[in-house]
Amino acid sequence: MYRYDAVDRAVLADRAAEFRDQVRRRLSGELTEDQFKPLRLMNGLYLQLHAYMLRVAVPYGSLDPRQMRALADIARRFDRGYGHFTTRTNIQYNWIRLADAPDILDVLAAADLHAIQTSGNCIRNVTADPYAGAAADELEDPRVWCEAIRQWSSLHPEFSFLPRKFKIAVTASPHDRTAAKVHDIGLLLRRGRDGATGFEVIVGGGMGRTPYVGPTLKAFLPSDRLFSYLEAVLRVYNRHGRRDNIYKARIKILVAALGAEAFGREVEAEWEKIGSAGDLPGSEIARIRDAFTRPELADSPAPGDFEARRAAEPAFARFVRNNLRAHKLPGYAIVDVSLKGFGETPGDITADQMDVVADLAERFGLDEIRSTHEQNLVLPHIRLADVHTVWKALDAARLATPNINLISDIIACPGLDYCALANARAICVAQDIARRFEAPDRAEAIGELKIKISGCINACGHHHVGHIGILGVDKKGEEFYQLTLGGSGAEDATVGKMLGPALPIDRVTDAVEAIVDAYLLHRKDGERFLDTLRRTGDAPFREAVYADAH
Amino acid sequence: MPMLIRLSDGVFSQVQDDFVRLGDEEPVAEGDVIISLGRLLSGQVARVGGGRIGVWLEPADEVEALAGRLDEVDLVALAFPKFRDGRAFTSARLLRERLGFTGEVRAVGDVLRDQAGFMARCGFDAFSPADGSTVEAWAAAAGRHRHVYQRAADGRAPAFVERGSF
Amino acid sequence: MKALTANRLSDGEVVFWKSGAWVERLADADVFAAEDTAATAETSARAQPTMAIDPYLIDLVETEGFWTPVSYRERIRALGPSNHERHGKQADGGDAVEALRHAHGAARSSGRVNLIRRK
Repeated sequence: MYRYDAVDRAVLADRAAEFRDQVRRRLSGELTEDQFKPLRLMNGLYLQLHAYMLRVAVPYGSLDPRQMRALADIARRFDRGYGHFTTRTNIQYNWIRLADAPDILDVLAAADLHAIQTSGNCIRNVTADPYAGAAADELEDPRVWCEAIRQWSSLHPEFSFLPRKFKIAVTASPHDRTAAKVHDIGLLLRRGRDGATGFEVIVGGGMGRTPYVGPTLKAFLPSDRLFSYLEAVLRVYNRHGRRDNIYKARIKILVAALGAEAFGREVEAEWEKIGSAGDLPGSEIARIRDAFTRPELADSPAPGDFEARRAAEPAFARFVRNNLRAHKLPGYAIVDVSLKGFGETPGDITADQMDVVADLAERFGLDEIRSTHEQNLVLPHIRLADVHTVWKALDAARLATPNINLISDIIACPGLDYCALANARAICVAQDIARRFEAPDRAEAIGELKIKISGCINACGHHHVGHIGILGVDKKGEEFYQLTLGGSGAEDATVGKMLGPALPIDRVTDAVEAIVDAYLLHRKDGERFLDTLRRTGDAPFREAVYADAH
Repeated sequence: MPMLIRLSDGVFSQVQDDFVRLGDEEPVAEGDVIISLGRLLSGQVARVGGGRIGVWLEPADEVEALAGRLDEVDLVALAFPKFRDGRAFTSARLLRERLGFTGEVRAVGDVLRDQAGFMARCGFDAFSPADGSTVEAWAAAAGRHRHVYQRAADGRAPAFVERGSF
Repeated sequence: MKALTANRLSDGEVVFWKSGAWVERLADADVFAAEDTAATAETSARAQPTMAIDPYLIDLVETEGFWTPVSYRERIRALGPSNHERHGKQADGGDAVEALRHAHGAARSSGRVNLIRRK
């Protein structure tokens, strides 16, 4: 974890005080709602259907136990005992009172947390590989760069009123777990020929109404030139991005309109003018790197009875098969904590569950917790010898559903149950599908299958990059759902294709099951769903879903 | 006279605004005038006597068009048609940092106290608030943050300098 | 028929207009038959910008003896989220809440899908 210094803490305290003053001016009538709305949004405070919603930043998805307990404390004292992890790896609370929001920011600040720029037309929370610092396949820990970006983008004087929101993701593994290619900027850490690090820079990806897989603007940007280059991209966007139409204001539209090459030339010209004056000194990057606590990983700790228990306990073996990932060091594992229990709301977690995760991270996990853009949590450093104990404790807290990357590990936005923008519900659709595929052997036989559900075209539920994407629409006052197939948010990023006419809510789960059955029928040699689909095209699937409509 | 807040040597004060905005069709005027970028570039005479010249830029106007002409100009007014339109922040930085303009850079239009800090950082030194802010309220808002993370046009030492990274 | 609704400024609670003030339950709200009385209420409500945010009128239909919103979005606002039946106004229970759960507007005349009830 990055350790805050006095400067970082003062920034949070000053920002909280500023917001307290803004809330006071709104409540007294000094500010109109039109004036206040952008100000509250820049602190993550939305007005939703039933109450205010506060979105708290989890910078690059990293939390320590003390912070997780602070989040639990807020859930108990200011909300209704739960929170919801989002596809931006943030957590949001659904039942917040405006008058309480400044006090909540103070509680957050005391734990080095904040809600800065979790909404608004500014640079949003930067996301990272949730396995950063632990993954066997990474080049280096990308969170050092994420923290530098967090600081650089916080209260940026020039880039706080952009044409539209701006999202950056950073990964240092060949397997992309951040959906970097559908971000405004995706930074893929690479090693150059001389061994120095740099980034492949993807600009202009995105989802929403007009989904794009972003083009590579620069194949290799030396890492010491990162900040001048970001400044150049943001400046070109701030000046030339469209402001006349909210649906055409993201950078992806500008990049697509100019063409990646012409946009890239604009950026290069601006970058040259900025020069190295726009870069962060190497000594500051080194300071940030040193400010990260290094988990005290032992040298090949003994696995204890891990293998014996795995052989003896089928339920444990299933958890190990689905919820464990390879750690960079022998004797350790990365443990995925599922927030996708059957019948639960994807991404929701109670205050008591937060405390359980905090305790486990403290006792067994070297104080590290991660949140993922797929709305789960991660304990990145668990000794193999402790995995069984951790599993037992997670299971008792209903956090050990062995379904990571399986069909019931569904992303769903809050949808019309909470969100003022939604056209249709998403949560109940996810719950219904998860229930249908609750039998664990069947789910494992189906294998990796990512279902992503959004309640409106803004695509917070990432439906465009779901292997099966589900988009809620309002059709003459009724909830209907549009299916897309073949999307991927990974290194093979692809935007899914619409399968056919939208379906009423009570046909969605049947349609998913028909798609799954068609896949199992056509699958060759243990292919993933996505690979079968890519081989056969979507005709067999369209036939399976719409056959009875003929 | 409309209220104007001026920032000079780190101090905000209320001053009288001597400038009058002159429409493109309006005849030549006495005293200090603010004219559009188009009128300035057309070379049309706008003033009589020793009055000062200001130029008004809409967000889409590129400040680079003023390159080579800035010695004729005492003031650049950058418009915020809506306070959410952040293009003038870039314009101000470029005026100061790239074009080296040392005259007055004034924020006009939908100018709210909650942006005072950002504006000062980007090089604005005159503000025509639309929200009735007093100079005290404006100064308090602009000085809210004890630390900043970025270099900008105001020369403030960012956190990475304060931390002694150099 | 119409009712006037908004979210309360201080806590975001869904509120409904009743004789010059805001109440929390749709069952207690004023129901307007005439366009002009509805518009007058809206004007009065907008004149109190520190009480509630952006008041607007909604269409109602009769269900089981209660006035219920035509649109399902408004029914969710009047009830609470369908994934947490103990949260929001639905927690109170009673006939008015049951009527809201059973309501379906003109656009949902088939009644094929029970709106609230999934978990």
